[in-house]
Amino acid sequence: MVGPDDKGGGASEHDAKPVRTIIVAGQSSQRTREVLRALRGFTNVIWPTSLESALAQTSSADAGCLVIADDLREERVDDFLLEARELQRNLPIFVITDPDDVAEAVSAMRHGATAVIEIPPSYAVLCEEITRVMQ
Amino acid sequence: MKELPQTVFVVDDDDAVRNSLRLLLKSAGFSTEVAASAQEFLSTYDAAQPGCLLLDVHMPGMTGLEMQHQLNVRGAAIPVIFITGHGDIPMAVEAMQHGAFDFLQKPFRDQELLDRVQRALTRDTEYRARLRQTERIRERLASLSPREREVLDLVTQGKANKMVAGDLGVSQRTVEIHRAHVMQKMEAGSLAELVRMMMAVAPPQ
Repeated sequence: MVGPDDKGGGASEHDAKPVRTIIVAGQSSQRTREVLRALRGFTNVIWPTSLESALAQTSSADAGCLVIADDLREERVDDFLLEARELQRNLPIFVITDPDDVAEAVSAMRHGATAVIEIPPSYAVLCEEITRVMQ
Repeated sequence: MKELPQTVFVVDDDDAVRNSLRLLLKSAGFSTEVAASAQEFLSTYDAAQPGCLLLDVHMPGMTGLEMQHQLNVRGAAIPVIFITGHGDIPMAVEAMQHGAFDFLQKPFRDQELLDRVQRALTRDTEYRARLRQTERIRERLASLSPREREVLDLVTQGKANKMVAGDLGVSQRTVEIHRAHVMQKMEAGSLAELVRMMMAVAPPQ
């Protein structure tokens, strides 16, 4: 199980399970930086240098979940979601969205998001959801 | 069997909203039925009736989300479009996670609603067509003899006639005869088509 501040001490080599990655997809924006800060208590958070790389990571056997942090600028979130869903049917995918943007949230759900989390008020919900799916 | 016409069901406790939606849908050529409460709708709803559902979120008694849950418990697959004057993201996400087709916040343009209704009806039509096709495949499977079913299972696993004969302890000629009967009864033009049929009726993973 991977959670905030989980240092995983005491596990033997035989008991050790591969740590699954939390993939953060987003441009270098304030929102993405906030997401990375909120997830600093988790192990194995990766922020690929490009969206193509983020998509490639979602197909990895180690992929634990995908967090789409911002509007991805040139890329449409919906198209990105569809591609990610094609690569990994059961991968938990969280989309961060602005408050009250119900239409975007509904569209994200229709295109394969597991959950949509509005920010603000806080990233606590995101951390709870990630902890839950990574168990 | 004659297809039942598609109906747009409207469930909303507000008289004015129900009437307005009914007029709009009627003007666009849709057949509609209305209900003033979730209980009223559920007491008369027949899952065999094709169509889609426009459902208010906030209603006294059973809410729209609670009614969605009841429909899910019943195994109903009718596309549900939620309508609300004050929705929020957690509510919308919950509705979508539980299978809603769409979630619309007021105010919305009439054409936007009509477009989504049409998409929902198309989804329902496609779903029912798949159901009928699956049922036909099951009927054909039921017409196979036990030995023919064994041959079908082995052949669709990719085994050659010679291997099937070995597995079943019969001659290759016998397998060929059974295989020909299977193809005829299943109305399959090729092995690939047969495999697709079996995948269509396979239980979900």
